[in-house]
Amino acid sequence: MRNVALVAGGITKFGVREASWKDLVQEAGKAVFEDCPNLDRKDIDSLIVGASQPERWVYQTHVAPLVAELLGIDVRRVIARTEVACASGQAAIRYAWLSIATGLSDVALVLGVEKMNTKFMDVSQTCMVNVGNREFDGPNGFTAPPFFAMVAQRHMHEYGTTNEQLAMIRVKNAKYGALNPYAQFQKEVTVEKVLGSRMISPPLTLLDCSAMTDGAAAVILASEERAKELTDTPVWVLGGAQSVLHAHTVNQMGELSEWLGLREAAKEFYSLTKLEPEKIDIAEVHDCFTISEIIEYEELGFCKKGEGGKFIEEGQSYIGGKVAVNPSGGLLSNGHPLGATGIRQAWEVLMQFRGDVPKGRYVDGAKVAIAHNLSGMAQLHHIMGYSIEKPKELKFGR
Amino acid sequence: MRTIKLPDTIKLPTLLDPWDQQEPSGPDATGIYNFYRNLAEGDLTTTKCKDCGKMNFPPTMLCSNCLSNNLEWVKIPEEGELYAFSVMALGVPLIIDTYAPFVVAIARFGDYPENGVQISGIIFDSKYEELKIGDKVKWEVIEIQGPGEKKRYWYCFRKI
Ligand SMILES: [Zn+2]
Repeated sequence: MRNVALVAGGITKFGVREASWKDLVQEAGKAVFEDCPNLDRKDIDSLIVGASQPERWVYQTHVAPLVAELLGIDVRRVIARTEVACASGQAAIRYAWLSIATGLSDVALVLGVEKMNTKFMDVSQTCMVNVGNREFDGPNGFTAPPFFAMVAQRHMHEYGTTNEQLAMIRVKNAKYGALNPYAQFQKEVTVEKVLGSRMISPPLTLLDCSAMTDGAAAVILASEERAKELTDTPVWVLGGAQSVLHAHTVNQMGELSEWLGLREAAKEFYSLTKLEPEKIDIAEVHDCFTISEIIEYEELGFCKKGEGGKFIEEGQSYIGGKVAVNPSGGLLSNGHPLGATGIRQAWEVLMQFRGDVPKGRYVDGAKVAIAHNLSGMAQLHHIMGYSIEKPKELKFGR
Repeated sequence: MRTIKLPDTIKLPTLLDPWDQQEPSGPDATGIYNFYRNLAEGDLTTTKCKDCGKMNFPPTMLCSNCLSNNLEWVKIPEEGELYAFSVMALGVPLIIDTYAPFVVAIARFGDYPENGVQISGIIFDSKYEELKIGDKVKWEVIEIQGPGEKKRYWYCFRKI
């Protein structure tokens, strides 16, 4: 297997944008090419597009060739679009990495995009039930907020997690989001503000939830040989793991407070990469709701099961703590354009390792980072590892 | 200049209708039409595997546990236990948005997971504040009227 590196990244401002899906693609595309002046677009042999529901939100399908056209790229090796809802972005990175590592591709553009704020927000919102089983959980109103609210209720019931601890996640992520010019929300908040914001689905308030967001993000991955020609500051892919444990409908989910899929993906990830939770300096994790980040601390092994609330209360996930979690501001600050989120996480890792982020959210001396991207009702998880140091030997199997 | 006139109203797109597969009077668009027929008769049912004994939900044509097609229809036990609940107030799927806010819940019926199911459902007749984990609930069949003359069936939960 060949080593693979992230060599460039580009991102749009996330938010409620007066821009079409296609505008967002071109904005992120231009940004990523400007970030890589040594690259000739002719060098790109592969393109993978992460997009969750363009068919529903902008009524466009067959989107990968459309992106190739919008950015003037001729693809001769691999072109595809990935769809695993909220985790479509990291899936795209994963397959580009795989294609380069095996020698099929040399330079791949990975672009994630979503346009969620439309003229018909009621229709856009309704499309969210299609992420679960639309025929069986959909008619019962199972979109993400009430579902994750129930996850929070069960975690509180099992482990005594509190509303204040949930709010502390938002406080941390808002602190870093305030220093991220691309984030949808750039204001610091207090615990009181989170607890006092509008109730969405109890126990989750408005500020416990990420938003419906328009945005796009892009990265370029390259083989070791090409990476050297393209950048002086490559960020190396260490490996990745992905899991779905026979679960899509509520009946298959077992205990809501236990994310066995993530536990399994983490076990696989640590085994493949020979990493341990203690060696991770930066973790960009999928905080679609505050409760998600708490459970992720536990399942990723940053603390014991049930102690995620205590972990944030002690400030262990701040920069300077045990591990810097979501120094980008996370999904809570950035917003969550489904297909773009996983790629925004990789973009953040690249910018962190290059030192291209504002002081105050820069993780000084960081060498190893992970990105965790989940989808739907936390049925699917993937984790990818990145390092400033080139891995000695890249293996897919054990 | 040539003019093209669009219709004044556009039909509810089927993609926004979660019960688009359900036509109790036929034609049957789904292999699990018995689920909907049984609902029309007042029963919430699912498939249980005669080979491995696993009770599946949603009902399917194939047991995902052992890949057997040897399935039987069984009634889901009428009384269950409230496992989790919250409120749906914002971003409610269009077809049920007129009922919002309402309580959404997950309840367990039978001996979950060995021989029972964990299913989602709406609770129309209780407020969030009136409920607690472990409350006894039962399922009941509801009638879905419209659009037009259409009559279909679904279920909800009620606190006992
Ligand atoms: Zn079976």
